[in-house]
Amino acid sequence: MHLKYESFVREPLVDGDKTYHQVTEDIISPIEKKPGRMWYVGFFFSVALLLLGVFSVTWEVYYGIGVWGINRTVGWGWDITNFVWWVGIGHAGTLISAILLLFRQGWRTGVNRAAEAMTIFAVMCAGQFPIFHMGRVWDGFFVLPYPNSRGPLWPNFNSALLWDVFAISTYFTVSLLFWYSGLIPDFATVRDRAKTKLRKRLYGLASFGWTGTAKNWQRHEALSLVLAGLSTPLVLSVHTIVSFDFATSVIPGWHTTIFPPYFVAGAIFSGFAMVQTLLIVCRKILGLEDYITIGHLEAMNKVIVLTGSIVGVAYLTELFMSWYSGVLYEQEAFKWRILGPYWWSYWAMMTCNVVSPQLFWFKKLRRNVPFTFIMSIVVNIGMWFERFVIIVTSLYRDYLPGSWTYYSPTWPEIGFYLGTFGLFFTCFFLFAKYFPVIAVAEIKFVLKTSGENYKKKMETIDAKSAEEFKHELDHAHH
Amino acid sequence: MTERFEIPARLRNTSLALIAVGVLVLILGGVTMLGGHDHHDKTRFWLVLLQNSVFFLLLSVASVFIQAAASLAQGGWIVAYKRVPEAIGANVWVFGLIAGAILIFIATGFSVDGHNTIYHWVHPEGDRILEGKKAFLNKEMFIGFTIVTIALWSFFGRKFRALSLAQENAPKNSTKVYWTMFKWSAGFLLVYALTQMSTTPWLWIMSIDAHWYSTMFSWYTFASAFVSGMSVILLFVVFLKNNGNLELVTKEHIHDLGKFMFAFSVFWTYVWFAQYMLIWYSNIPEETTYFKMRQHGPYSLIWYSVFIINFIMPILILMARPSKRNYFTVTFMAMVIIFGHWLDFYIMTMPGPLGKHWHLGWYELGIFMGFAGLLIFVVSNTLTKSSLVPGNHPLLKEAMLHQS
Repeated sequence: MHLKYESFVREPLVDGDKTYHQVTEDIISPIEKKPGRMWYVGFFFSVALLLLGVFSVTWEVYYGIGVWGINRTVGWGWDITNFVWWVGIGHAGTLISAILLLFRQGWRTGVNRAAEAMTIFAVMCAGQFPIFHMGRVWDGFFVLPYPNSRGPLWPNFNSALLWDVFAISTYFTVSLLFWYSGLIPDFATVRDRAKTKLRKRLYGLASFGWTGTAKNWQRHEALSLVLAGLSTPLVLSVHTIVSFDFATSVIPGWHTTIFPPYFVAGAIFSGFAMVQTLLIVCRKILGLEDYITIGHLEAMNKVIVLTGSIVGVAYLTELFMSWYSGVLYEQEAFKWRILGPYWWSYWAMMTCNVVSPQLFWFKKLRRNVPFTFIMSIVVNIGMWFERFVIIVTSLYRDYLPGSWTYYSPTWPEIGFYLGTFGLFFTCFFLFAKYFPVIAVAEIKFVLKTSGENYKKKMETIDAKSAEEFKHELDHAHH
Repeated sequence: MTERFEIPARLRNTSLALIAVGVLVLILGGVTMLGGHDHHDKTRFWLVLLQNSVFFLLLSVASVFIQAAASLAQGGWIVAYKRVPEAIGANVWVFGLIAGAILIFIATGFSVDGHNTIYHWVHPEGDRILEGKKAFLNKEMFIGFTIVTIALWSFFGRKFRALSLAQENAPKNSTKVYWTMFKWSAGFLLVYALTQMSTTPWLWIMSIDAHWYSTMFSWYTFASAFVSGMSVILLFVVFLKNNGNLELVTKEHIHDLGKFMFAFSVFWTYVWFAQYMLIWYSNIPEETTYFKMRQHGPYSLIWYSVFIINFIMPILILMARPSKRNYFTVTFMAMVIIFGHWLDFYIMTMPGPLGKHWHLGWYELGIFMGFAGLLIFVVSNTLTKSSLVPGNHPLLKEAMLHQS
């Protein structure tokens, strides 16, 4: 048996005097109660937004893509900006579930479930944009390599846009499987506690007949490991391929080699910000402060300051290289980006993404909940502007001055974007009501090493000298 | 808990023999190449020194970086053999001095018939592209950046070790030094971002092909240096373990280092491929010329070898769990990786100035051996000066329990 010990220098991951039963009680009981009034308000507001989105999209499909503000010069506008933005947000979930698992970061257990859910919803939102950007959306299946029914017409396998189709759909599938397989034991817990027949039946179906036997757990662990292995390259590949959508071109401002890792860093950056936004609200409303502690928020803020700075280095590298390259078109593209009529978008991006996250170097601010909440929104505003800057400000000053243009969105574009918020929050509200927002089984797994009450008992171990400790360890093995 | 290391005679003799080979080859190279009449030989003499000194400097700075990263992430796994990266980091100044002297000499004093064949930008006159870059590519900027960068790296390398030693004498379970180290680590990350991750590789390496540019270049150089740095740490750990030291290190810790070697080999491939693919895809002649020379030109054998050694081999050999827990496999792979990335640095530096007149012979390998010997000599020397166990470290007990 592995000795349960964790250094005193780490703060507990679960606060309070918790037993296994208490953990179940704290996390599952909100599912069994009727939601509060705030939940209904939020939910119906989200549904209303979603309906606005449906209306805007219907309008666009009916009248054609001409109702949007995009034109021949700026062929990608809010649509692709929003697509990249949402895909980026999705990255935090995969990073937390796969990479932080590999790095043995115990604090992921408090946030992984909600982050993974958020990933799935964000990818669902993202997917809408390229689909409806096609215009003739009923021909959308043409993006899939579907043999022989269309004669010689096949998708262009050399196109990064096609790679995207595979990247995003793989990403969605694996994320969904990962999330769902983690939910199975927790659904079984809800089922076992259920007091109503319907609940027992539905959660029973959802838990695939989980009985919690050793064999169940063994298979579950094996599956998780395989999925973690599959997800790890996905964290990098998805946004890498999204960056290829731009970087494989020869458009100044888009064609730059640093794009792949820089997009990945930016995606993680915005994803963590969204996790903060959602979890700060969730922990408050559902009373989960013992599980999503200030320590968890601080850890995520550290990831935010790190990735924000990586993105900052990339921005400056790009800017420097545009000058260093000696290529007139690169230099002009950046001049127009920074000083042209869209100057405000560039400076919004710089301020929100690079400058303001630097405040997280201060421990006090990293552990300040209202400040974190505001910053999480600021970061996502900044990351939206990043995509807008990359897309629109690289396009609007064409090679031919006669094609120069200024692009502004029309109401169906704005309505579409708001609609995806509706979709996202509708899903998230349903998730927060019907699903355990924290992975109960995983919290139990770390409880005896990182729970506050258990850590208190470790003081005797901390008091031992290293030699004594080593001696006892060796002894225990024989 | 203390554990002292005494340098075994065999190790000392090996390192001295390697240094002797390096010095001998240097003298021989000086006599035959600098004394000869061949232009390419003169360039080769200095270029090989540049390649090796920069490679060993960046690789040793990787040890400072991993300490900072582990401290910020509060990683317990590294504590069992923390003294190894500390000892490497504390000797950054040695490689810094050598590399700094070579780099500054090449930028200021080196010339073949009035031409600087390595750093063309020293004389930008008449070349419109280089004239445009003059505000960055000039001697003063180069010297300034070089000195400041090396001074900062050396300082942090020594500082981290000093802090770790201070922890030993601190009151039991005191976390004061631990959090001080945390702050210095954050500071180092900032320095590293502005040097290794951006400006340094542009100036030292990318400016050899002064017309060419790639925004990825510094991150790609970092990946190469970091994976080699982790491999060097592994070699020291395995050596110490075989020597009967590092009692706390188990297969779990070796497994971790193996994971890093594996993961960052894949990461290197990722940035390497992204840089290559985007340039290949866009097919802009000013950019593809760099790879034309390397992939299709006289360097194609080395170019493909780099890919096979640095990607195919690690991914096939290190993927499986048992191979990362096998002392022989990880040791073998660490050597392969170090050699592969040395070759990677070779192909970053040689093609521009030497073109088809490249050599991979006694001089190149001899200089490499000299630097390797120096690394072994100085690091093992530093290792003797303190306990191999970072006593009183707040995460020491976790490191003993560590399961990969």
